[in-house]
Amino acid sequence: MDKGRILRNKPLKLLTLLLTSMLIASASATVYYSLIMQPSVTITAAVVAFAQGGDWSAVAGSIGTNATWCSLALKAYPNATLTYDEPLNLTNSGTGVQIRLRRVSISPASGNSQVGNFTFINFTLHDETGVIKGSLNYTTTGDTWSTPSMAFTAMDASDEWYIAIQTKAVAGAIANIVADIQIAVDVQE
Amino acid sequence: MQPQLLPEFFALLGIDIFLAISLLTILLDRHFPAAVPYVYQIAGLVGFGHLLASREFMPLFGDYMRFWYCFIYLIVALANVVVVNIYLATPKKLWKLAKIFFGAVTFPTILMSTFFVSGYANGAKMSLPLFPQIPMGFLYVALVTCTVVLSVGIFVSLKLTRSEKNIQKEVKEQHG
Repeated sequence: MDKGRILRNKPLKLLTLLLTSMLIASASATVYYSLIMQPSVTITAAVVAFAQGGDWSAVAGSIGTNATWCSLALKAYPNATLTYDEPLNLTNSGTGVQIRLRRVSISPASGNSQVGNFTFINFTLHDETGVIKGSLNYTTTGDTWSTPSMAFTAMDASDEWYIAIQTKAVAGAIANIVADIQIAVDVQE
Repeated sequence: MQPQLLPEFFALLGIDIFLAISLLTILLDRHFPAAVPYVYQIAGLVGFGHLLASREFMPLFGDYMRFWYCFIYLIVALANVVVVNIYLATPKKLWKLAKIFFGAVTFPTILMSTFFVSGYANGAKMSLPLFPQIPMGFLYVALVTCTVVLSVGIFVSLKLTRSEKNIQKEVKEQHG
C-alpha cells in the first residue's frame, strides 16, 4: 500500500485520532485528579464563633482569642429558678452548617454529695426568632447528674443564635458550692 | 461537606470537548478541510499543557485567575462547537445534519457546561457576580424536560416511519 493511500485511509485516521484522544483525555484526567489529591491546609477564621449576648454583663463572662471559647460565671438560687435570657450568642459567618451542644465534663461528678444541692442547669439554644433548636439539660436525681445530649440542627448562613441558661438549687442548698460545666459546640460544615 | 469543583475542571471539560469535535469532524471528513480534526487535537493538547502549567503554578495564580483562564478555555471550546454547527448549516447547507448536530452535540454540551459553571459559582468562595446562581432543583426540571422531548421525538418519528410503511404496503396491495 502506498503512502498516499495510507494517509487517506479513513478508518486508520479515525483510529489514530481516537488513540491520541484517549491518551490526551486520560493524561488530563490524571493531572486533574492529582490536583484534587493535593492536600492543602489554610488557616481561616472559625465559621461559628461566640459573641456577647444582650445579658452578657449578667454572667461575668469572658470570650477567648478568635471567639472559639468562652467562660461564664453563673449563679443558682435555692428553691428559685434563675433565668439568663440571652447571655451568649453564636454567629455563623459561613454557609449553612449543622450545630449541636455537647457535654464534655461536669464537676463535682455524679456520686459526690455536693451534686444533690443542684436541681437543674439547663442550656437552651434558640434561633434568631426565638424558636428552641435544642437543649442540654443537666438535672439531678439524688447525687447523680443526668447525661444530657442534643441532636444536630441546621444553622443557616449569617444566622446569629443565642443560648439561654436556667439554673436552680434545691431548697436549703449549701451556699458557695460550685459546679464546673464544660460544653462543646460541635459544628458540621 | 460536598467536594468542591476545582477551576481546572473547566479546562478538563474544554479538552474533552475539543477531542470530541476532533473525532466528529474526522467522521464527517467529507464536509471539513482535512486539517480540522488535527487542529482540534492540538487544541486539546494545548489544554493538557495548560492543566500542567496550572498545577505547577497553582499557589502563584490564585483561585480567581485560575477560574478565569480555565473558563475562557472552555468558552473557546464551546465556541468551536457552535462554529462547526454553523459551518454545517450555512456554507455547506447541510440543514438536516446541522439540526442533528445541534440536538446531539451543541445543545447538550452547552447545557452541561452551563450547569457545571453555575454549580461552581454557587459553591465558590469568591464572588462571581457575572454568573447567575441557578438553583439545583432546576437541573431536575431540565433533565425531565429533555427526557420528555426525547420521548415525544422518538414516538413521533416511529409513528411516521410506521405510517409510511403502511402507505407503501397499501400501495403494493392495490397494485398487486
